[in-house]
Amino acid sequence: SSLPQAQPQRASNGRKQTQRGRSDAFRRSIPLAAPPFLAVVGRGATAMAMSKPQQGDPAGFLDLVGPDLSACVFARLQDPADLARAATVSRPWRRFVEGNGFLKKVCVRKFPELAVLTAAVEVRRSPAPDPGPVDANAAAQAEHRIYSHLYGALVAAGPPADCILHCVGASSTDNFPDETIDNTLEPQDRVNNRFSYWSSAGQDDPNVPETLTYRLASDICVVDEIRIQPFKAFFQIGHPIYSSKMVRFRMGHCKLPRPSESFITDDDDNQAVIADENYIWTYTSPEFLMLQENKLQTFKLPRPALCIGGVVKIELLGRVQKQATDDRYYICVCHAQVVGRSLSPVFMVDINDSAGYSILKHLPEAKNLSVEEVMQDSASDSQEWKDALASYRETSHLATALMNVLHEGAAHPAQDQQGDAPHFPHGAALLQEIQAMQGDANLMQQLQVDAQLLYLLQDGVLQLQDDEDGLQAMDEDDDADGGGVSDNDPFA
Amino acid sequence: MAATPADASSSSSEAVVGGEKSNKMITLISSDGESFEATEEAAKMSVTIKHMIEDGCADDGIPLPNVPAKILSMVIEYCNKHAADADDTNKHVADPADADEDDDNNNNNASAGEKEDLKSFDASLVAVDQATLFDIILAANFLSIKGLLDLACQKVADDIKDKSVEEVREIFKIENDFTKEEEEAVRKENAWAFNE
Repeated sequence: SSLPQAQPQRASNGRKQTQRGRSDAFRRSIPLAAPPFLAVVGRGATAMAMSKPQQGDPAGFLDLVGPDLSACVFARLQDPADLARAATVSRPWRRFVEGNGFLKKVCVRKFPELAVLTAAVEVRRSPAPDPGPVDANAAAQAEHRIYSHLYGALVAAGPPADCILHCVGASSTDNFPDETIDNTLEPQDRVNNRFSYWSSAGQDDPNVPETLTYRLASDICVVDEIRIQPFKAFFQIGHPIYSSKMVRFRMGHCKLPRPSESFITDDDDNQAVIADENYIWTYTSPEFLMLQENKLQTFKLPRPALCIGGVVKIELLGRVQKQATDDRYYICVCHAQVVGRSLSPVFMVDINDSAGYSILKHLPEAKNLSVEEVMQDSASDSQEWKDALASYRETSHLATALMNVLHEGAAHPAQDQQGDAPHFPHGAALLQEIQAMQGDANLMQQLQVDAQLLYLLQDGVLQLQDDEDGLQAMDEDDDADGGGVSDNDPFA
Repeated sequence: MAATPADASSSSSEAVVGGEKSNKMITLISSDGESFEATEEAAKMSVTIKHMIEDGCADDGIPLPNVPAKILSMVIEYCNKHAADADDTNKHVADPADADEDDDNNNNNASAGEKEDLKSFDASLVAVDQATLFDIILAANFLSIKGLLDLACQKVADDIKDKSVEEVREIFKIENDFTKEEEEAVRKENAWAFNE
């Protein structure tokens, strides 16, 4: 085998060279005073730096050892923060870090569920100017920027809240709809003198599992922990607690097209939709032990997990409690919460398995949108922006409906001509208070993640719409308290 | 075995008859003409040299025009140390049937101690100035010595990890060629990484 080809090399320091072999012919001696020599040193680079790197070289060692060896070094930086800072050291470092996609690789390593996303785009409000020729540099830069913002959003300390928006369905339900999964959104085990819990169907085999599937407030949420309270049947002798043995969680997206997504209702237990083949699960937690105790138990994930696609499935594994009357095993859940934060509308995902794309969208300008801007497009906005916000509104049906109701209430604050009390006496005040809260936080985001509040608010609003007596009672309570909002006020 | 600079003209092969491993010495010649000796075993830690030996190119000594003497001696030190370690590990594993509990414990303690020894050797080998460190990287790459390349690259990575941008520029003598606006913009994009 012959000696490797020597490439043009850096300056020697003039040491006397007694060379053997052919390499003499390839050596060039360069005076030390010359400016830094930015040769492209290719694969298998054999250039030797006899002199120290010149002071004030923006590239640092990148040109000295070449791109492959530099990549060996940077690949060992596993903290996204190190890579983000490295991109701000100098222009050559920025090009190198962005061009090699190190930040995205490290993010995917830390959050493997991100691997499902095959593209990342930035969505701007103003219509984009004519794009011109495809610029690989610009694309790499954009991808680095998007993942940098994403990681920043992931590690930012935000107020954690329950992210559940809707119930999709349960694997089985005893006494549907009395013991429907919808009851698990209600934290109390009793509402209006009725017990509120979900119950599975009975089984003779304690190993038959059950599942509860929920849709979260947005298609991209970071989840820290899940809380479940098993149900204690106070109406049965011995007050049995129908917990499961173990519990596990899966997160992912539904393969069915969005407009045809259905949720559980009082008439339809939505069995068709929850079949596993309709979902792609991109995160699976370890198994946790559930205690047979009547309290809200916290299952903290080993690391925060990204729910990409907005669907969480709670798997209840193993049964421990038999019902005395029929000698069968049941699992009953009083309350469930998925605790974390939605990353929308600044981040959204658009996944269409049949069309074969899964895109991460970044809307940096969505950070401080007002409610009006979310609810309504401006004619000057780009089509991509409008599409993204439309899909965002679609995923938050409940919040949208509620905002409409509150807006209506605010629009009709005055008493009507018969002198009847206004329909939403406290609604208007609530709306004002909410609007006052619009400081840094995005209002829609606040409302969205607090699904419990929305659930109760919606209940309260609907009650007020139908129930004149309720309205009367509220007014009376209100008077008794001397004008304050009473404890019975659903708006409280 | 310590590598010693030898007279350029001497050819040095001491073939030892018998024994499991050849104690044949290989001569390696740096870019500036100095000769170094290493056991074949140590030299073969370099895949490049291993191929040359197997192809029969090593008899008159192997010229390494890309590796100066200072670096070559460090490389050989590394190879000697790590080849010996590999050998000892093999010896420990050699006769599992003969090992009783006491022996096992002794062997484990010895390897644990050796591992510590190796770690501190490695650490001091790469505790050098920047220029030397990068020369080691280039040499380890040219000679295909994976362990040494990993070690040196990790050292550079450690010099970047958890450091502020100013510190990194200082350590690697990097000139900041961003315009003020550019730098502000790129810092803003990565703002979360700067909360110190």
